[in-house]
Parts: sequence; C-alpha cells; structure tokens
Amino acid sequence: MTDLPSTLLVASLATPLAFLGACFVEGWRRHALALQWLAPVPSLATGLVGLIRAPLVCDLPVLDFTLRLDPPGALLLTGAALLWIVFSAAIWRDRPPDNRFGLSWLLTMTGNIGVFVAGDLVSFYLFYALVSIPAYGLFAFSDDREQKRSGAIYMAFTILGEAILLLAFAMLVTGEPLGSTRIVDAMAALPSSPWRDATLGLIVAGFGMKLGMVPFNGWMPLTYSAAPIPAAALLSGAGVKAGVIGLIRFLPLGIPMEGWGDSLVVLGFLSAFYGVAFGLTQQNPKVILAYSSISQMGVIAAVLGIALAKGEADGALDAAFYAANHLLVKAALFLAIGVLATRDAATPVLAVPLALSLAGLPFTGGALAKLATKAQFASGSVAALATLSSIGTALLMTHFLICFAVPSSRAAQECPSALVRFWPAAALGAILLPWAFYPVVGNASYAFEIGNLVDGLWPVALGMGLAFVLRRVRFAPHVPVGDSIVLEEAAFRRLLGIGPSLEKLDARLRQWPMAGISLLLIILALLTASVSGS
Amino acid sequence: MAESGTTTPGGYLLVLTILLPVVGMILSFTPGGRNAERIALCSTPFGFALACAIAFHVNRAGKPIVYLVGGLPPPLGIALRADGISAVMLVAAAVIVTAAAFYARPKFATPDGVSESRSSLTFWIMLQAIWAALNIIFVGGDLFNLYVALELLTFAAVPLVCIDGRPETIAAALRYLLFALFGSISYLLGVALFYGAHGTLDISLLAQRVQATPVVWTAAALMTCGLLAKTALFPLHLWLPPAHANAPAAASAVLSGLVVKGSFFLTLRLWFYILPALPAEKVAIVLGCLGSAAIIAGSVIALRQARLKLLIAYSTVAQIGYLFLVFPLATGASSAIGWSAGLMQILAHAFAKAAMFFSAGLLAEALGHDQIAKLGGAARVLPLTFLTIALGGLSLMGLPPSGGFSAKWLMLQASVASGQWVWTLPILAGGLLAAGYVYRILTPALSDDQISLVLPPKRSQEVIALALTAIAIALGFAPQAFFDFLEIGRPVVGQP
Repeated sequence: MTDLPSTLLVASLATPLAFLGACFVEGWRRHALALQWLAPVPSLATGLVGLIRAPLVCDLPVLDFTLRLDPPGALLLTGAALLWIVFSAAIWRDRPPDNRFGLSWLLTMTGNIGVFVAGDLVSFYLFYALVSIPAYGLFAFSDDREQKRSGAIYMAFTILGEAILLLAFAMLVTGEPLGSTRIVDAMAALPSSPWRDATLGLIVAGFGMKLGMVPFNGWMPLTYSAAPIPAAALLSGAGVKAGVIGLIRFLPLGIPMEGWGDSLVVLGFLSAFYGVAFGLTQQNPKVILAYSSISQMGVIAAVLGIALAKGEADGALDAAFYAANHLLVKAALFLAIGVLATRDAATPVLAVPLALSLAGLPFTGGALAKLATKAQFASGSVAALATLSSIGTALLMTHFLICFAVPSSRAAQECPSALVRFWPAAALGAILLPWAFYPVVGNASYAFEIGNLVDGLWPVALGMGLAFVLRRVRFAPHVPVGDSIVLEEAAFRRLLGIGPSLEKLDARLRQWPMAGISLLLIILALLTASVSGS
Repeated sequence: MAESGTTTPGGYLLVLTILLPVVGMILSFTPGGRNAERIALCSTPFGFALACAIAFHVNRAGKPIVYLVGGLPPPLGIALRADGISAVMLVAAAVIVTAAAFYARPKFATPDGVSESRSSLTFWIMLQAIWAALNIIFVGGDLFNLYVALELLTFAAVPLVCIDGRPETIAAALRYLLFALFGSISYLLGVALFYGAHGTLDISLLAQRVQATPVVWTAAALMTCGLLAKTALFPLHLWLPPAHANAPAAASAVLSGLVVKGSFFLTLRLWFYILPALPAEKVAIVLGCLGSAAIIAGSVIALRQARLKLLIAYSTVAQIGYLFLVFPLATGASSAIGWSAGLMQILAHAFAKAAMFFSAGLLAEALGHDQIAKLGGAARVLPLTFLTIALGGLSLMGLPPSGGFSAKWLMLQASVASGQWVWTLPILAGGLLAAGYVYRILTPALSDDQISLVLPPKRSQEVIALALTAIAIALGFAPQAFFDFLEIGRPVVGQP
C-alpha cells in the first residue's frame, strides 16, 4: 500500500471522491465545484507514470477491490485526465457553476477516471455506470422538448447497456472456477468457460451500445447535438472511451478466436461506413461530429476484432492509441464549433488539419494513429477497407468543415470565453500531443517515410475532392438526426401499449372473485407441482 | 438436531426480545395518552440493542441459539430458536421500527391540551404490536405459535392502514383484513394437517419426520398459499396497493418494509427448514414463475401511476416478486449464492422501501400533494428528500453500490451457475422497468420548473429517511462474513 503505484492509483480515485464528499457540505460545495479541475490531476500523474511503468497494480485491503492500470489504460487515462483538467478549468472561469450541472460533471469525471483504473468486475461496473448515467445531467435538464427526448433516449440505451453488461459480468464471475472478481482472472478463465460465447455476445452488445455501433447508434447524434459544447466535447472525447476500454478489457485478446474476431471486424467496418454515409446527410456540425464518432469507434472495433481473430494481445495498445488520438481531436473539434461562432478567436483555420487528422493527414497525430493500426490493417481486404474508411473520414470531415463555416448563435452561448481563448493551444495540442505518446506504441520516425506520407496523403486528398464533388451535385436526402432511432422509438411506443392492457388485467385480478379463484388455482398449482415432482 | 434439547447461552435474550415489545404494548394501554409514545420511543432502542446481542451470540456460537420455554424440550414444550437469518431480520426490524417511531413523532404526538387522542394511541400501540409479532415470527420454532404471531401481525397492521379514518382508508383496511383472513385459514388448515400427520409442530422435529406423502404436500400447498396471500404475491396483491398507499408514511414504511417480509420469512421457514429434503423443484418453479409475473406486472403498473405513493406501493409488488426467485435459485447445487441473494433482497428492499415511503410522506406534506406530474423542480426545494429517493431508487434499480445491486448480481450468478437461464430475464427486465419509474420521479423533480413549499420539511425526518437509504447502500459493501452468517442454521440437503 505504501509504494508509488498504489499511492498513485488510490489518489487518482480518492481525489475526485473527496471533491464529491465536499459537495455535500453546504459551505464547501461552491469551491469544490469551481476547483474540480484539480480532481483529475493525480490521475494525470498516474497515467504518465503508468505509461512508463505499467502495469500498476494495487489490491485494496477491503472488499476485494483491485485497481490496475495497464499500458492501454494508461494511454487513455492520460488523455482523459488532460481533457477533464482543461475543460473543468476553463468552463467556470466566467460564471459560478450551477449545482446540478457541476455535480453531474464531477460524477461523470469520477466514473471516467475509474473505468481506466478499475481492476475488478464490480468496481468496473460501478465506474462504468458512473461515467454513463450522471452524464444525463450535462444536457437533458431543460424545458426544450428535443433535449428532453435526447435525454430519455440516452438514458434508455445506457440502462439497457448496463443490464446487458450485468449479465455478462455475472457469467464471467460464474465461469471463473474460484469465483474471483478480478478482471484478469475472469478473462483468463473465459476461453474455457462453458458460457464463453454467450458472454462474448453480451460484452460486444453492451459495450457496442456505448460506442454507438450499428444498430445501437441512434442515441449518439441526438445526445451530442443536445449537449452544450463543453459537455459534448467531454462525452465524445473521454466518455465514449469507457466503451473502448471495456472492449479492450473484456475481449480475450491474446487467444485466437476467429469467429468472434471476424464478426467484430464486420460490425466495426459496418459502423465505420454507416457513420460516414449518414453523417453526409446532416448539416448540423455537432451531429456530423457525432456520426464521425460512430465511424471512428467502428474502426477501433475493427482493430480489436482483427487482434481477437489473430490472438494478438498487442492490438489492445494500438487500439488504445487510436482511441487516445480520437479523444483529443474530437474534443478539440467540438471546441472549434464554439470558437468559430464567437468569432473572436485568432486561428479557426487550425480546425482544418485537426479535422483531417482523423483521416490520417500526414504530420498530425492521426497519421500516427494510422501507423499504430497498420499491423492490424496489414493486408488483404481489411487493408482496402481501412483505406476506404480513411477516404470516407476525409470526405465526412470536409463536409463538416463546409457546414461548420456557417456558425450558429447558440454555439457561441454554449462555449465559455475562457475555453475560446484556449483554442489555439487545444488545437495544437490535439495535433501534436500524440507524437509525445507514440513511443509507447512504436517508432514515430516511420511516419516520415515517404511511402507512409504518400499513403497518408492520397486518401485525404481524394476524400476532400469527393466532398466538393458531392457539394456540387447537391445530393442531400433528408435523414432525421439519429436515423434508425425514429424506428426504434416507434417500436418502443408500440411496446408501451402493454401498459394499459396490463393495468386492465390488474384491475380485473384485484376484484374479489378473481382473487378467490387465483387463490384456489395457486393451491392447485402447488399441489400438482409437488405431487408430480415427487 | 442436537441443539433443540437444551437452552443455549444467550437463549434468554430471545424471550426478552419478544417480551420487550409485548410489555411495552400492554404498558401503553394502561397509562395511555402521552405515555404510549414515551414507552415506544424508549423501548425501540433497547430492542435494537437486544437484536444486536442476539446476532453477537449467534455469530460467536456459529450455530442457532435456543431457548426452551419452561425448560421442556419439544414436542412437549415450545422452543424459540434464532439462527443467522433470524438474527439479521431481528436487527433489521428493530432498526426500521425505531426509525418509524422517531419519524412518526411529529405526526402522532398527542396534541397539546388533549390527554389522549385516538390516532396517536392506536399508532404507538400497533407499532409495538407489529414489532412483537415480527420478533415472534423471526425466533418462533413452533408452527402454531407462528400462526398466532401471523394473526397478531395482520390485526396490528390493519388499524395502521385506516388510522386517519377516511372512508377510502377504511375500505382498504377491510380489504386487507378479509383477504388476510383467507390466508390465515389456509395456513391454519395446513398446520392442522401437519399436526395430524406427524404429531408435532416444532420446525426441527418436523424436518426430521416429514416424507413426501400427499398429506404433507397438501399441508405445504395450503400453508404456502396462505402465506402468499399475506405477502401479496401477484396475483394475490389486491389489498396491497390501496393499503400501503393510503396509510400514513410511517406506517406504510413498516408495512412495505417489514410486514410483508414477515409472512415471506415463514414461507422460507417452510420450504428451506421443514421441507428441504423433499423433491420440490417443480414447486420452486411455480413460485419462481409467480415471482417473475409479479416483477413484470408490478413494475409496468408502477410506471403508469400518477401518485407517488401508489407508484412506490406497486414497486413493492414487483420487489416481492424478486423474493420468490429465491426458491428456484436456492435449491440445488449452487444454493448458497441464491440464498445470499434472497436475503440480500429482503434487506435491501426493506431499508430502501421504508426510506422511499418516508420520503414520499415528507414530500406530500411539504408540497401538499404527491402527484408525480406536479413534482417539477421539487428537488431544488427538497434536496435531502430527493437525495434519499435517488439513493433508494439506485438500490431498487440494482445499480452499484447498493444492496439491491448485490441482490441482483448474486441472483444472476445463481441463475447462470445452476443453468436456469430463464430467471435472468425477469431479473434484468425488472431492473430496467425500475429504472423507468425512478426516472419518472427524478427527471421532473430535477427540472428547471419553479415550485413552492406549503410547509418546510422537518430536518429530523429527512435525516431518518436518509439514514435508512444509507443502510440500503451500505449493504452493497457487505463482506463475505455477512453471507456466511446468513448460512448459520440453514439445513443443507445431504448434510443432516
């Protein structure tokens, strides 16, 4: 308990929890909320130490809690902590925090840090719930109908995902012969578990919901368009990565499983292209960014799928690097929307390389992300699909840049001026910081090789060109935000029809004659069951 | 069973734990008036201490503690017996009754200038009567004694429902009384059959003598059905929603949190203590199916209620359904997990639901109504109350960290381990639906709307409610030793 890793791991959770505790004291609440940018500082330190000295492990003496940080977790934790610090520090510079929003923010932050360091199933589940559920408070408390609707849909998907994961985790624990709740033990036992396939199916479905994978993608565009810019930046940047770390932790990478790996690849690329295709039909920059997230999360799922099929444990780190790059870039892009709307920032033009970084523009962090996943997308059809997805991303991001040039007045209100002032640093950071972390994954000098430069450049150029062609053709079918969600809502409404009919049934059952009959029937049922059972 | 032969150390505590509320009840009658309140408030903390002492003794002995009334061993005499689950339930009952007593003080204090008021006197006496009945149920070792306790429980609970004398509460109370009587008759018939067949009503003696004969099965079916009627398992729940929703908050909390658990506790005694050796898998499945139906129907109807108290009452119908999943889950190979899950569900629901009813009462008094549609912005004016509702809701939904989470987590493990996949569906669906109704309460309350208070809430009542949810949450951190404690004295098939 006294060594450095344990201290760091405990501190990264204890600090936000202490801030949370302070919120319950009337006099301290305001300060705790205003100073909450300090809460992720220990996590940043933990993440940085973890990058060098991973894995960090700490078994808490109480209740089987285990904290564990491996290199993929360290990479994502560093990025997430950085993002939380920057946004929390800027957002309340001009006006004091609103209690409800501030508390939701702090809870989401705690959960976000927790998912990366949790080492056992129960605490992972706890922090996963914490990063998902309180996020509702960041955007849905409003009189606006559309925002309420987004909130309800977000909540429905979140809770459904939680339920699916609960069953998956129960199977993991039961499959572990000694009943250990440590993730490492449970995952070691999974390949020989009698419920392996059911468990994996639930895991992919549960975390797939968080990642907005098709067909669970509808909530993401609605949520990000309803959320104010800082919240959208955090959720799309750091929040969604809870799903990525979930897949990394709970897929048995290292043991080849072709069937599951290939299905995940198919599902991933399906999402990747689906996101691009439907993103192109949208005009609201926030919605386009959401569709781009769906697409990018699809790519990450595909990377993990290939690693799973081949049994390569290293794939986790590559996927994490790709995700960490997305974490920084996506948050900065949301910020860009606010920056352009306020019109007093110096260099909105930085948004161009930033946006194209996602497509792997040379010299940006995106080029490194592409380099990191090169081992997975090495050859054959997946290589072609990966290139195609780069072209698609470049196309979608150019479309974003075109739509984003028309600023909205609402975006200006949502973005605090301190954050706007910080924009050039944020944009440059998002483009350049991945270079600082790349040595964890591989050798960055490959990114300067002429072959790689050309490989990075032509899909981007092609995608940009296509975007302008598309603009000329004016091909823009009308698709509602969240596409398939409309169908899912209609199905849900039909399901609600059960309510009145059950209520009628209840009213009938609660009449005396019916209750008497039920009583007799139950006696008979029990008798029949017991006599026939013996 | 060897331990049924003699009184064990600490056995006298079992007598005290019954005598304390009974004496309190009788004393409250005699001087009456304000003294009834004083007696109740003084005795409840003692009861808690007694319950803790019993738990301590059971834990130290590692086996049930026994007291033979009059020194005569059964079948001649009557034994009181406290095992792991008795001790835990005694403590839980003492905590909730104490909380209810202190919570009820502002409402049921005898008004100034009056020497005695009907409603106050009734409340304080009936609260102690319920407590006495529960304690007998938890430590009773004789089926006829348990019948008497069950009757006392019903007859004490009914006046609490109609304590304010409004016509609809009297109708609800009569409904409750009549249906409970059906249950009693059914139970009593079963007891008579047991006595006729085996000549004893002592639980551990019966457990040694029963065989899978038609008489035993008939007796078990009749007793079970009677107990189900009193537990309000769907579709025998006709009395519960009006009774629990119309009673005063302090009473509702005791009724929903404890009283229905009393009859459920006896169902556990019957199947896991008297009949564990008999092949009852199919009965377990019937009970599991009824429980599942209760979970789904209760939750869906809860979602559609306009009044908060009715919503909470229907949520009780659903949560009672979870209790009955213990029958299929705790029989067979991986029974220990299922058993832990069932007991955890009893406790988590008792504390969370009591706190929810306390909060609903606070809210109704502070706002002048309990219409969910008009709760807009209420969380800003009643932050502590809504914190309680949110934390209680967390446990009902089964999100960590909470007792409700532990219960669902263990239930799912038990279903997976025993290969009974079908139960995972109602378990998960119930959680989703619970999330739905908790969401329905919390979202309007947290919205930007403005609302004004009719009456400021009493801080002491808010703290009591919060303390109970804190226990429901803390149950989520229960260590393995706690679950081992629950196993003390449970007959396990194959280990006589």
